[in-house]
Amino acid sequence: MEEKIIKAADVRQEKGLMLNVENLSISFGGLKAVENFHMQIKKHELYGLIGPNGAGKTTVFNLLTGVYKPDTGSILLDGENITGKHTIDINHAGIARTFQNIRLFGNLSVLDNVKAGLHAHYVYGTVSGIFRTPKFYKMERAMNEKAMEILKVFDLDEAASYKASQLPYGRQRKLEIARALATEPKLLLLDEPAAGMNPQETQELMDTIRFVRDSFDMTILLIEHDMKLVSGICEELTVLNFGQVLCSGATKEVLNNPEVIKAYLGD
Amino acid sequence: MSSFLTYLINGISLGSVYAIIALGYTMVYGIAKMLNFAHGDVIMVGGYTVFVVCSTMGMPPLVGILAAVIVCTVLGVTIERIAYKPLREASSLSVLITAIGVSYFLQNAALIIFGADTKSFQSVIHVPSLSLMGGQVTVSGETLVTILSCAVILLALTTFINRTKTGQAMLAVSEDKGAATLMGINVNRTIAVTFAIGSALAAIAGVLLCSSYPVLSSTTGAMPGIKAFTAAVFGGIGSIPGALIGGIAMGVIENLSKAYISSQLSDAIVFSVLIIVLLVRPTGLLGKQIQEKV
Amino acid sequence: MKIKNKTFRQNAITYAMVLLFYLICQGLIMSGNMSSLMKGLMVPICYYVILAVSLNLVVGISGELSLGHAGFMCIGAYSSAIFAVCVDGKIPEMAELLLALVIGAAVTAVFGFLIGIPVLRLRGDYLAIVTLAFGEIIKNVVNAVYVGVDENGLHFSMKDSLSLGLSENGIEIINGAQGISGLPRTATFTTGIILVFITLFIVLNLVNSRQGRAIMAIRDNRIAAESIGLSVSKYKMMAFVISAALAGVAGVLYSHNLSTLQATSKNFGYNQSIMILVFVVLGGIGNIRGSVIAAFILTILPEKLRFLSDYRMLIYAIVLITMMLFNSAPKAIAWRKSIKERFFSGKKAEAGKEAQ
Repeated sequence: MEEKIIKAADVRQEKGLMLNVENLSISFGGLKAVENFHMQIKKHELYGLIGPNGAGKTTVFNLLTGVYKPDTGSILLDGENITGKHTIDINHAGIARTFQNIRLFGNLSVLDNVKAGLHAHYVYGTVSGIFRTPKFYKMERAMNEKAMEILKVFDLDEAASYKASQLPYGRQRKLEIARALATEPKLLLLDEPAAGMNPQETQELMDTIRFVRDSFDMTILLIEHDMKLVSGICEELTVLNFGQVLCSGATKEVLNNPEVIKAYLGD
Repeated sequence: MSSFLTYLINGISLGSVYAIIALGYTMVYGIAKMLNFAHGDVIMVGGYTVFVVCSTMGMPPLVGILAAVIVCTVLGVTIERIAYKPLREASSLSVLITAIGVSYFLQNAALIIFGADTKSFQSVIHVPSLSLMGGQVTVSGETLVTILSCAVILLALTTFINRTKTGQAMLAVSEDKGAATLMGINVNRTIAVTFAIGSALAAIAGVLLCSSYPVLSSTTGAMPGIKAFTAAVFGGIGSIPGALIGGIAMGVIENLSKAYISSQLSDAIVFSVLIIVLLVRPTGLLGKQIQEKV
Repeated sequence: MKIKNKTFRQNAITYAMVLLFYLICQGLIMSGNMSSLMKGLMVPICYYVILAVSLNLVVGISGELSLGHAGFMCIGAYSSAIFAVCVDGKIPEMAELLLALVIGAAVTAVFGFLIGIPVLRLRGDYLAIVTLAFGEIIKNVVNAVYVGVDENGLHFSMKDSLSLGLSENGIEIINGAQGISGLPRTATFTTGIILVFITLFIVLNLVNSRQGRAIMAIRDNRIAAESIGLSVSKYKMMAFVISAALAGVAGVLYSHNLSTLQATSKNFGYNQSIMILVFVVLGGIGNIRGSVIAAFILTILPEKLRFLSDYRMLIYAIVLITMMLFNSAPKAIAWRKSIKERFFSGKKAEAGKEAQ
C-alpha cells in the first residue's frame, strides 16, 4: 500500500494529477463515515469507486463536491486546492456530478435542464434578458445549439421539449449526465449511473461513458455496483469498506484481491 | 418596580393565552404538517358560545365553558373532515388556502349571526384578585386563572401524550405517517383527535381571552391567532414546550413594549424579536434541525 | 426551436387578452354603459393584477411562500405619496406620476433587498411567517411615524406631529395613523393598463431568460442547482427584489388613486397579502396568465355579489373552499380524469367500430 502512494506522488510531479485526495475524514456525531480516505486520479482516466452498501462512497462524493465540509484532509483538483469550498465554487473549479437519487429540474424541459448547466458559459445580463437585446438572441441561439449537441450524445435530442419529469428512469439518468457535462467540468462524478437500467441499457451507457471521456477529453470518477460495468470500463479502482480505503490499483488486480472478495461476499 | 411587576404578570397572563392557542397550532402542524389559519377563528367561536350561553341564556359560567369546549371540538373535527381531509395528499399551499377560506367562512358566518357591532363580554371568571407586596401590586382573578389554566393544560397534555396510547400514536404519526400506518395506527383518527384537542384548547383560550379583554367581534380571534402562530414558530413549531416558551415570551415582550416603548409599535417589536430569533435559530428555539439527504 | 415559438405564442395571448379587456372597458366607459361602481374598480383591477403577477414571481417561479406582499405595496404607496405631497403643484402631473413610479419602485426594491437578506436564509413555512412578520412591521411602523417638510428639508418623528419642529411654512406629510392627505388623484385606467403591460413584459421575459431558468432550476432542486454552479442566494434575491419593486409600482398606483392614504389592516395588513396569494393559487401557481385572470375575476366578484349583501363574503369563502377542493383534492382530480377518459375512450371505441 505504502509503495503505491509513493508511486502516485511521483506521478503527480511528472504528469500532474486531475484529482489528488489525501487524508480525508468526516464524522457525523460519533460515527466516522469516512476516515483517512485517499485517491489519485490521473488526467483522462476512467476511475471507479466501489464498495459494499453503506461503505461511504456517496459521502466521498459529497465531500468532493462541497456538500459536506471535511474534518481533515485535502482535495486538489488539477493542482488547485478546493478543500472546504462551497459546492458552487467547486463546480466553477471544474467538478460536476450526478446523484444516486436523480435530481433533475423536473418542471423544466429536457432542453432547459441542459441549458441551466450551460449557465456560466453563455452570459448575458438581466437587463439584456428582459429587454431582449441582440445579445440575448445571439446567446440563446448559441445555447440551444450547444445543448442540442450534448443531448444528441445521449440520444435525447428528440425529447428536448419534454418535461424532464416525464422521461423514463433510464433516460433521466442520462439527462443528469448531460446536464453535468454542460458545465464543462474537468472531472465528472457519476453516482451509480447504471442503477435501475436493464443489461442492454447498461451496455449502451458504457459506450456513452467511454465516448464522453474520449470526445470531451474528460476525467471520470464513478460509483457503481454493476461489476460488469466496472470491469468493463474502469481503468483504476479504489475499494471502500467501512469508510476506509481497502485497496486501490488497476481494475483487474483489485477485483482479484482476496480482501476485496471477502468484503463483498463476507467470510 | 411595582408597576413593572404588574406589567410583567399581565404579560405572562397574555402569554399564557398565546401559549394555549399556540399548542393547538403546534400539535396540528406536527401531525398534519399544515398551517391551520382558521385556528384563531375557533377562538372567536368559543367566545361567542360563552356569550350566548351565559349572557343571553343566563346559564352559569361553568356550563358556558363546557358548551364552548363542546362546540369548538365538534367544529374543529368537522372542519378537518370536510375541508382538510380530502387534501391530505395535496400540496401544502392548497391546504393553506383552504384554511384561509375556512377562516373567512367562520368570520363572515359570525358577522351574519351576531352583527357587525362588538359585544361586551361579561367575564365568566369570578375569582377574587390577589394583592402582593402590601397592596402595591394587584393581580386580577382573570390573570391568576389564566396563568394557572395554562400550567394545568400543559401538564395534562404532556401526560396525555406520554402516557396514553392515543398520545403515543400522535407522536408516531408526527414522526412518519407512512410508518405509523404500517404499524397499524389509524392515521385519520389520530389527526381527528389532534384537531379535537387543539380546538378544545382554542375554546378555553377564547374564554380566557374574552374574560381579560372583554370585547367580542367576528375578528376577535384573528390577531391573537396570528400572534400565537408566531409564538409557536418562535418556540419551534411542532414542539410543545416550545409553544409554552414562545407564547409566554411573546406575551411578556408585547406587554412590556406597550408599557415602556410605544403601544403603537408593540406588534412591530414582537415580530422583530421573532425575526431575530429565527435568524439565530432558523427552526425556532426548540425546533428540530432538519438536513436534506443528498 | 419549436419551444421558443410556443412560449412566444403563449405570451402573445396574454398580452392580447389584457389589450382586449382594455378596449372593451374603454368602449363601455365611452358609450356610458359602465356603472360608476365598476368605473371605480378599473384602477384597482390594474394594481391587483400587478400584485398577483409579481407575487407569482416569488411563489410560483421562485417557489418561496411569501405572506408579506402587501407590505411592499405599502412602501411603494407611502414613498410615492411623500414625493407627491412634496412636489405638489410644482411639476406637471404626468411628470409627477412618472417620477413617483420610479421612486416607488426604487425605494421598494431597496427594502426588498434589505428584507430579503434575512428572509431568504430561511426555508418553507419559516420563510412564510417571517415575510408575514415583515409585512406587519411595515404597516405598524408607517402608522407610528410622523414626517414633515419645510425649507430645511424632511423632518421625522416617532412621537407626534408637534415634535417634528417644523417652521411656519412647513407642511406635515405623514400624520401618524391619520396617514397622508391631499394627494393628487392622477392614476387613470390607461396608466394602470400600461403598468400591467410593463409588469407582464418584465416578468414574462425574465421567466424566459437565462436568469429565469436559473430561478426555476433552483426552485425545482436546490442541491442539483448548486452542483451545476447556480448561485442560490443571487437568484432567489433577484426574484424577490423584482417582485417587491413591482409590488411597489402597484402601491404607487394605489396611492395615486386616493386623496387620503392610510395604512390599515385591510389595505396593507396580512389579510391583503393573503388575498393576493389567493389570486395566485387560484390562477395556478407559476401560471402568469392565470394570475391575471384570477385577480381580475376575484376583484370583480365581490362587487358583482353585492346583491347578496351580508352573505357575499360568506359565499366568497364557500366558493374558495369548494374551488380548492375541486382543484387540488386527489380524489377530485382522479374523478375529473375518469370522466374525461370515459368521454374520450367512448368516442375512440365508436371510431374503431366505424373503421371495421
